[in-house]
Amino acid sequence: MNQRGLSFADVVGMDLAKRALLLLAVDPLLGGVVIPASVGSGKSTLARAFANILPDDTPFVELPVNATEDRLIGGLDLEVALSTGKRVIEKGLLARAHGGVLYVDSLNLLDAGVSSLLMDTLSRGAVVIEREGLSDIHPAAFMLVATYDQTDGEVSMELLDRIGVIVPFVAQNDAETRAEVVRRIVQKKRAEESGDENDLLRGLILAARQLLPNVIIYDEQLDALAQTALELGIEGNRVDVFAARAAIANAALDGRSDVQEQDLKLAAKLVLMPRATRLPEDDVPPEEPPEQQLPKEEPKNQAENSDSEEPPDDKPEKTPEELQELLMESIESELPKNILAMPFMQQRKAKAGKRSASENSKRGRYVRSQPGDLRNGKLALVPTLMAAAPWQKARKHARATDAKVVMTKDDIRVKRFRDKSGTLFVFIVDSSGSMALNRMRQAKGAVAQLLQNAYVHRDQVALIAFRGKKSELLLPPSQSVERAKRALDVLPTGGGTPLASALMLAYQTVIQVRSKGMKQATLVLLTDGRANTALDASQTDKQKIAKELQDLSAMIRAEAISSVVIDTQVNFVSRGEAEKLAAMLDGKYIYLPNARAEHIAAAVSA
Amino acid sequence: MPKASAARKKVTQKKITTSAPLATKKKDAVFPFTAIVGQDEMKLCLMLNVVDPRIGGVLVMGHRGTGKSTTVRALADVLPLIERAEGDIYNRTVKEVEEQTKQDGTSRKHSDIKHLTSEIVPVPVVDLPLGATEDRVCGTIDIEQALTKGAKSFEPGLLAKANRGFLYIDEVNLLDDHLVDILLDVAASGVNVVEREGISVKHPARFVLVGSGNPEEGELRPQLLDRFGLHARITTITDVKLRVEIVKRRRDFDAAPDEFLEKWKDEQTALRERITAAKKLAPRVELPEDMLSLIAELCMNLGIDGHRGELTVSRAAAAFAALHNREVVTLDDVKSVVNPALRHRLRRDPLETIDAGEKVERELQKILSAQYSEPVL
Repeated sequence: MNQRGLSFADVVGMDLAKRALLLLAVDPLLGGVVIPASVGSGKSTLARAFANILPDDTPFVELPVNATEDRLIGGLDLEVALSTGKRVIEKGLLARAHGGVLYVDSLNLLDAGVSSLLMDTLSRGAVVIEREGLSDIHPAAFMLVATYDQTDGEVSMELLDRIGVIVPFVAQNDAETRAEVVRRIVQKKRAEESGDENDLLRGLILAARQLLPNVIIYDEQLDALAQTALELGIEGNRVDVFAARAAIANAALDGRSDVQEQDLKLAAKLVLMPRATRLPEDDVPPEEPPEQQLPKEEPKNQAENSDSEEPPDDKPEKTPEELQELLMESIESELPKNILAMPFMQQRKAKAGKRSASENSKRGRYVRSQPGDLRNGKLALVPTLMAAAPWQKARKHARATDAKVVMTKDDIRVKRFRDKSGTLFVFIVDSSGSMALNRMRQAKGAVAQLLQNAYVHRDQVALIAFRGKKSELLLPPSQSVERAKRALDVLPTGGGTPLASALMLAYQTVIQVRSKGMKQATLVLLTDGRANTALDASQTDKQKIAKELQDLSAMIRAEAISSVVIDTQVNFVSRGEAEKLAAMLDGKYIYLPNARAEHIAAAVSA
Repeated sequence: MPKASAARKKVTQKKITTSAPLATKKKDAVFPFTAIVGQDEMKLCLMLNVVDPRIGGVLVMGHRGTGKSTTVRALADVLPLIERAEGDIYNRTVKEVEEQTKQDGTSRKHSDIKHLTSEIVPVPVVDLPLGATEDRVCGTIDIEQALTKGAKSFEPGLLAKANRGFLYIDEVNLLDDHLVDILLDVAASGVNVVEREGISVKHPARFVLVGSGNPEEGELRPQLLDRFGLHARITTITDVKLRVEIVKRRRDFDAAPDEFLEKWKDEQTALRERITAAKKLAPRVELPEDMLSLIAELCMNLGIDGHRGELTVSRAAAAFAALHNREVVTLDDVKSVVNPALRHRLRRDPLETIDAGEKVERELQKILSAQYSEPVL
């Protein structure tokens, strides 16, 4: 270590993340770098080391996960205001990061409001202050460096979309980054004599920044990037701009004035691949990503002879289609084994689930204050004082008092909290036919099991039974074990199977609860899936019933309500209807003819 | 409050200059409206509202990263000019100021009334950021005046600045409920009322509400949805040629904003002139009886409650005609606007699988083929 502190090159591993950070340093308009990493992987060390390769006066601001909106945006400097009467705005964290690095550890744990603000600031490059009688714009163009532990939950897609570079989860040491590392080491040896590696990197970055505007990217290459983005089902057009920037920055970093295949590949890996929402159908990713070698036609030497000055001026020989194929190939070879672990893939599955925090005035994390009544809220002291401050002179004068502070009801600001809300489990129990009693017993046990943990997770349970002509909400969403048990005690059985009616009722129940802030919902269906009654109970036409189920399933999927179908068919010759239902709902299918309650509970909350 | 702004500037500027590397991006350069590739429905909806603000605003919903906010923020540069009383924070005309002053005896401007002159300013576009608080939206006591002199003077908020202009809310579906309530209230009445401890202000706040967002991030409250005259849909551009063009223009702009703006200057001027001319023409545009009954029938068949649907289609069609320099509304004009004018007004049927816009078009087609006995496409 040298006197400047951490050396960037000394951070071991995370080569791809380091490369990503270098690209960001070269072109800050990439917006930021997101690094998924688990605890103890040295991610914050890396972020701090990054600050050391930037020019000396570059600000480095850390955004704590529990920051309130006030702290982010800034507000009235109370001290100055009261002592001098001047309206001075205290800069918020976002504005303080202007021209530098904003580091967020655990990006996925940011409160929804803070996350939206961050997103807004990234796209504006400024913080707009319109609060507490203040109106101003602070420039806030920064390089966002964010890390998060995937097991804690996902980052909002809107926010991710505005961040240029997303380091893939399995950072492979591919040839490119290896070559880079080797080059670094070789150069490092030389640099060490002068005593400072960070200086060397700083020099590289500065040189690349100067080269940046002159780097040529050809239409065919942009075309290939756009086609690849389309192929991967990436939403929006912002991605093209980021991909082009990343490719250009990579070329500049290697001292080249034109974009080459390796630049496109790196852009595909760092910008396109992490945003994929679908993969090419027929290509199964290989088990072990091969130790990727560069294609032979690639003039690899050029990357290393960054000093040589010949401006390569011939266009790429490949057509956009060929280039695109090449990019897809390289992406496929890089794919992590668990493709569902990719952020945009995963969130497509549960898009409504991510805003699972709801705002309230009682518990959770303090996010902001608003005018309110103390009878149903907790006092936010500082905002209240701020609200009262401007009136003091007038009030003291009017009331002829020398009380230090004259407060009125209007000054009161109460705290608003945001709270993680739990999941609503809707049990939908088929009480038609002979198996009804058995199913009910299972359901009862599972409900009881789930509710035992409900207090911790703030989960709720509802129960719908269906038989005969219609379905019935036996237990509205509740946390009470006792209520649930009572509701389950009396249950008529036998008759037709109005599955559609039950799904409709479940859907409505979930939508209602959502409007109260509980965002996540799981339907648990205990049935053999053999529906024989339509929504309109007088109709038993099979095709109509099937169509209804299909439409209802589509609605349920569209609302990102997840489902588990527990097949209770005991016959060995199962007709697979429950499985079909699970497929329609895009849900889990579990065959548990004689399931015990705890099995169901475990399967459902897994 | 020249003093206040001077003090503010001093503080902010001092710190900005110390931060170097990112400051390459020019803060005030805005990407030109005419250089935005594709997204024609959104652009059209915005222009229609400029031509006739009574249309009632635009809600732009769609995929992330498709240029929603870029387009809305670009609008300012092609807006026509308006006349207002010099320096009037509410953007009122001289006449309006005079009338208000007559009504409101306490107004401080009472004595100045003879000296009022007009000035020409661009139609204001005011940005309502997500973290905005109620007092800045509606206006509140002037803090500095209050702190130094103990005076209770009113400092107007965003609603005042937006009068006669546009109020833009990005991520409108994430806006706090209590702000939504205020907006709905003011949008309905066209007046903002602030009453607090000796401050009693009532000022005009008629603005075109423009909202944008991604429906995946959250639903919009039905009352707010209903408030918007037009609803534009925006999706990812899939034409690769267009996408390449987008990237190139963006890069050119970021590299040299001034040159880029210069290159698009003529187009911008041409569009501004076209919109200005259309705005003048719009009040004279005639809506023939048969078009009116077509619109009424369409709204009836679609089961749209109230008359806001008919009104919006009529106004939007007339504005569309004016934009194309015609004085009579034709079938094409109506067809061009029915979709954004009606798609958000259909009753929501959870079992409905077809898109609302498609439904509007089908219904229109049905009526037309019945009327003309031959398919009109």
